[in-house]
Amino acid sequence: MASKANRPELIVHGKRLDGRALDELRPLKIEASVLKNADGSAYLEWGRNKVLAAVYGPMETQPKHMADPTRAIIKCRYAMAPFSSLEEHGRTGPNRRATEISKVTREVFENVVMLNEFPGSMINIFIEILQSDGGTRAAGITAASVALASAGIHMRDLVYAVSIGKVGEHLILDLNMLEDNYSDSDMPMAISPRNDNVLLLQMDGEYTKEELHKAMEMAKEAGKTISKIQKDALKHVYKKVAEKYESE
Amino acid sequence: MKDIVLPGEMVTETPIRASHTYIEDGKTYSMVLGMYQKEPLSIVPLEGTWVPHIEDTVVGIVSSVKNSVYEVDLKFFGRSLIIGGKFERFSFKLGDIVEATIKDVEEKKTIILSYPRLLSGGTLVSIKPAKIPRLIGRDNTMIRQISDSTGSTIVVGKNGIVWVNGGDVALATEVILRIQDEAHVSGLTERIKKMMETRMVK
Repeated sequence: MASKANRPELIVHGKRLDGRALDELRPLKIEASVLKNADGSAYLEWGRNKVLAAVYGPMETQPKHMADPTRAIIKCRYAMAPFSSLEEHGRTGPNRRATEISKVTREVFENVVMLNEFPGSMINIFIEILQSDGGTRAAGITAASVALASAGIHMRDLVYAVSIGKVGEHLILDLNMLEDNYSDSDMPMAISPRNDNVLLLQMDGEYTKEELHKAMEMAKEAGKTISKIQKDALKHVYKKVAEKYESE
Repeated sequence: MKDIVLPGEMVTETPIRASHTYIEDGKTYSMVLGMYQKEPLSIVPLEGTWVPHIEDTVVGIVSSVKNSVYEVDLKFFGRSLIIGGKFERFSFKLGDIVEATIKDVEEKKTIILSYPRLLSGGTLVSIKPAKIPRLIGRDNTMIRQISDSTGSTIVVGKNGIVWVNGGDVALATEVILRIQDEAHVSGLTERIKKMMETRMVK
């Protein structure tokens, strides 16, 4: 079990266990429209996290009694593959943790998707964690956001998510599994980059007021990089086709 | 190639009403992934489902028959119905392919169809609804070009289902699918023309 008693030294000479600086992201790679059958999809690799997100819809609401005649409803399913993790997270089937993450992810997207564009319909978001190494809910939201855009769903913004943690008095960006387990505090957040609205903020541990403000700034700064990768991934799908003819 | 715009990107600093945009704090933002043109402001979505409008031509498959009410599968989340009356009588069978015009859209999701026409035989090609305007072309130029050179009869449904019959169906289908993939790249008309010419000679 992770506890303070067996905690490894997380920060050595100002560097973290994987050699990153305190405010450095893990390498992030996104590919949009990878699945042919889904209306929209994205594959994301964030450090050692591997996430596949797929979006179906707007489609007929199932079960029908859930249909809302004034707006669309969103259903979200976050799931970890049985082989995704070294420890207990990757059990098959929905569990308490997956249900919670599905709910918070749904609420993030309920705030950015234009639900009144398609009343009575349903939008399905599937997030599948193929390999996990900490920060999968942030990775899931970042991937799902790209998948929604590639499905042509009307949204106010392209959301990104990232986590901030605390080790001693240091704030660290984008925690991996070890840091997640042993750090003093862990805070995933989802932000809408257009107006910096915070759509998800969960916290394990504690922060002082100043630390929280600093953490927010760190997340926003990192968000610029994440947003750019998201946008490039979406544009690449169309530019790829265009380049074939421009070179001729 | 025009610029690609993404959800949440600002398109103008002044409030302008245009489709697929929203206005906040006096500025206009895009809400879809699309191709963007500044003057006049327009955003053409690259992906997305079809939004039914009155007078749209659609192609679908009869999926349920109840007395004189026929339900048609248009690959749309709502229901679409052909309602026979005292003066209008239709006799469609389950699985028939029909072309029809939208008479009314109720609550953005229930579609009432009129002037149904049975399409017998032929092949159905399903493409992304967002690419249909490009397939039709300005003043039907693109679709006319395809049907003229392949000799096929083509009916394009705005819902993304295309019916092709007679002539060189294989070539027509290939062209339709190619237009779907390359709709956003400029110079498409010339490329299709060239493709047609080289392929028809053989």
